[in-house]
Order: sequence, then C-alpha cells, then structure tokens
Amino acid sequence: MSPVNGVVPTTIIAAGLALAGYALLMTALNRRMGAGLLAALGVLEILLLVLVGIVVARLADGARPAGLATLIGYLIAMPLVPVIAGFWGALERSRWGPAVIAVAGLVAAVLMIRLHEIWPAIRV
Amino acid sequence: MASPEPAASRPDSTRTGPGRVLIAVYAIFALSASARAGVQIATKFGHAPVAYLLSAFAAVVYILATVTLAIGSPTARRIAVLSCSVELAGVLAVGTWSIADPATFPDATVWSGYGSGYGFVPLVLPVLGLLWLRRWARR
Repeated sequence: MSPVNGVVPTTIIAAGLALAGYALLMTALNRRMGAGLLAALGVLEILLLVLVGIVVARLADGARPAGLATLIGYLIAMPLVPVIAGFWGALERSRWGPAVIAVAGLVAAVLMIRLHEIWPAIRV
Repeated sequence: MASPEPAASRPDSTRTGPGRVLIAVYAIFALSASARAGVQIATKFGHAPVAYLLSAFAAVVYILATVTLAIGSPTARRIAVLSCSVELAGVLAVGTWSIADPATFPDATVWSGYGSGYGFVPLVLPVLGLLWLRRWARR
C-alpha cells in the first residue's frame, strides 16, 4: 500500500472543511454565489474523482472490503455531492446559496471519514 | 449591515432563502437513510429487523419532507408539517427506546441515541423544519 493513498483522502477532508469555512464566511458577509465558490467546489470535485479512481483501481486489483455494496454507494454518491450542491446553490440569489455549498463541504469531509471506516485500506 | 441585494432577502417560497439549505440537508438524510436501509434489509435483515425497519421508515419521512418543502404549495406545506412532526416524535421515541432497550438495536438506526451517530442533526432538523414552516403559516 503506497502512502500516496493517504494524501488524497486527507486533502479531501481539509478541502471540504476549508470550503465550508469559506462558504460560511460568504454567508456571514451576506454575499451570494460567486465564481470563487464555484472554483473551490470544482477543486473538491476533482479531488473526489481522483479518490474514486484510486478506490476503483484497488478494487480492480482484487481487494475487497467487507461492505462492498455500501462502498459502491459511496463511490457513486460522493462525486455527485459538489455537482448537485453547485446547481442547488446557484439557484439561490441570496446569502443562503453559499450556505448550501458549506453543507456540501462538510458532507464531503464526513463521507470521506465514513468511507475510511468502511474500508481502512483507503488511508486517511 | 448593508445588504447588497435587499430584494432577494425576502424568500418567496419554502424552497428559497434558509429553506434552500434546509432542503439540501433533508435531501442528504433522505438519500443516506434510504441507501442504508436498502443495504441493511437486502443483506442482513434478520440481524436487527426492528432497527432496519425503523431506518426504512425514517427514510420515507425524510423523502416526504424533502419533496414537500421543495414544492412549497399550501397542501405540500401541510404534509411537510406532518412529516417534520412525525420525524421529531420518531427521533425522540426511537432515541429513548434505543437507550432503554439496547438489545432491540444490535445495529444503529438514524434515530438511535437521538441521532448521536449523525452529530445530533436528526434531532435539530425537524425543529428547524417546523420553525421554517411556521413562518409560512403566519402569512
């Protein structure tokens, strides 16, 4: 197991929390959705897709977690979180748009920690 | 504080303003409770039938609340009030039951320990939902 596997999950948790903090600041400052938040959301999305790639590669190598069905559910759900939150938040023309993005950042971090509990082979 | 968009600060439906965030959180719980209940019932129903059926019930309540809050018509709002009330009663009842009789719950539900496995969000969510809906009932 390469230690590189630990870098992506750790970065996802940090990026999710940082995005949530940035978005909540925008809500507190009464700003609506902007390019900065969408760009940050895009970075989180890329990280999640890289993670899915790493996990799929491990599955392709023949490794299997105890809860395979749950793991596959996470692999499908996690990359959808920033995409759906981006659309749902962009529909909002008030400070609550960024608050939706904050939820997405927190959820991404929590899902990452849960994914690690499902399959500790994915290092945090 | 000066608002850059005074007109937009007044939500025109239960799905706008703070409701936008509320629906996002409800949607996450609808999805995760459904997926969790689906996997548990399909793979190991006999292990903890009560817990898994309660998870499935919670999933239905979350889906109903998400959809009705997003629709926001007067009828949808009445159904949303009902789902949020059932949700609050459910999290209090199942939370108490899971602490009083842990043997019935060898595996956790969303509402076990008043939602402690989910940062107590399941306990706070129906209260916020009912407060948000009450704002609309008063108009």
